[in-house]
Amino acid sequence: MFAVTGNRNDVSARSLRALLLVGALGLLSACGASSLVVEGSYPTPAVRKIPLSLGLYLHEDLRNFLYIEYTETGAEEYRVSSGQTHVQLFSNLLPAMFERVQVLASVEDAAAAGVDAVFAPSIEEFQLALPQKTRLDSYEVWVKYNMRLLGPDGAYIADWVLTSYGKTPMEGLLSVEGGINEATVSALRDLASNFTLSFGAVPEVRDWLATKQAVVGNQ
Amino acid sequence: MSTHDFIRRRFPLGLLGVLLSSCTTTTVDEFRQAETGIESHEAIVILGRRQGSTYETREEFVNCVGERVSRGSGAIRVIPEKEFVDSLFPWFEPRTAPLRTSDLQALMEEPLVASKIEEYGVRYIVWVDGQTETTNRSGSISCAVGPGGGGCFGFGSWEDDSNFDARVWDVSSFANVGTISTDATGQSYLPAVVVPIPLIARVEANACSSLATQLQQFVNGD
Repeated sequence: MFAVTGNRNDVSARSLRALLLVGALGLLSACGASSLVVEGSYPTPAVRKIPLSLGLYLHEDLRNFLYIEYTETGAEEYRVSSGQTHVQLFSNLLPAMFERVQVLASVEDAAAAGVDAVFAPSIEEFQLALPQKTRLDSYEVWVKYNMRLLGPDGAYIADWVLTSYGKTPMEGLLSVEGGINEATVSALRDLASNFTLSFGAVPEVRDWLATKQAVVGNQ
Repeated sequence: MSTHDFIRRRFPLGLLGVLLSSCTTTTVDEFRQAETGIESHEAIVILGRRQGSTYETREEFVNCVGERVSRGSGAIRVIPEKEFVDSLFPWFEPRTAPLRTSDLQALMEEPLVASKIEEYGVRYIVWVDGQTETTNRSGSISCAVGPGGGGCFGFGSWEDDSNFDARVWDVSSFANVGTISTDATGQSYLPAVVVPIPLIARVEANACSSLATQLQQFVNGD
């Protein structure tokens, strides 16, 4: 009896299982974290170029930087990828500050590339404040960076910390993802302005620039 | 009188009353410190102050003032805020923008900054600083949906207060030539009888309009 109706029952069971699977996947995706790739544009700084060549080394931790915001129960809520927008920012910023910039695959390539120094930034901390958690009416982003300037031989020149802050008001039809994106872009813009204007004022950098410019002056 | 008749006869009267009271009061003050005037080849730039930790001057308000100043018989060429700030990056960012005229003088010693400002033909930099605050919220509205339809019932009201200052810096003399202040207040209402009817006082729009008119006259030296 069971064997006679087996084919039809098998089809029905398979359809039911498929439906349950699709339903479960739907539920899981509804409960899953929302992913966001930060996108923005950054202006070119209007500053005098430093007459030196710089190697830019962006470690894969920075190029693939991902921040995960968790709910109060510890579940993933937002996955914010800002690695590529950092690459875009530094690639736009540094050529406006230095006479020549060369992207390096590793710090060891610096000597062969003939650069005067290697700049290697990294992200130490990333914080996100959402209006639904802070009860404030804006999205806020704080980022703490470690900036390193190395000689072509990998020797230390300077190592300093920079922080940046960005916020965007919670307005109208702006989605949470849109708010996080705008606040992050604003924080990166703050980093760019702070870095551009404070670079030459970092004591070790100032001394190094004075030495290099004295050498260039004597040639 | 049935409820339906009551609503039909009395509601338009009530609505009219509310409409009449839903208006805005605007005050504009001008403080002139020096003579002003602008040539046809010169321009102004209107920038929002964003240094404060509690509020930021909204870009939309700054754009609104700029748009109105560049219209009408006394129209003045206005450089868009975003274009100017991007072009002079990073000198006019929230953290780096000059706070005093002496800072502007120091900034103009940067050859790239001076050449860009000259290229734009900027004669005056106008710093707009302020915000719109909403206070005195009251009332409540309940909405319900059933098989036969849905609707809302209730009444809500609130007060908006827009307070903005515009400081005018003369780029040729590095001096603050005057300040224009505007204060606009208005009460908004939201009655709901089946459908919510928003009666919004256009407080910020009025503040923008008043400030722009006064600023245009001030810069033209009228």
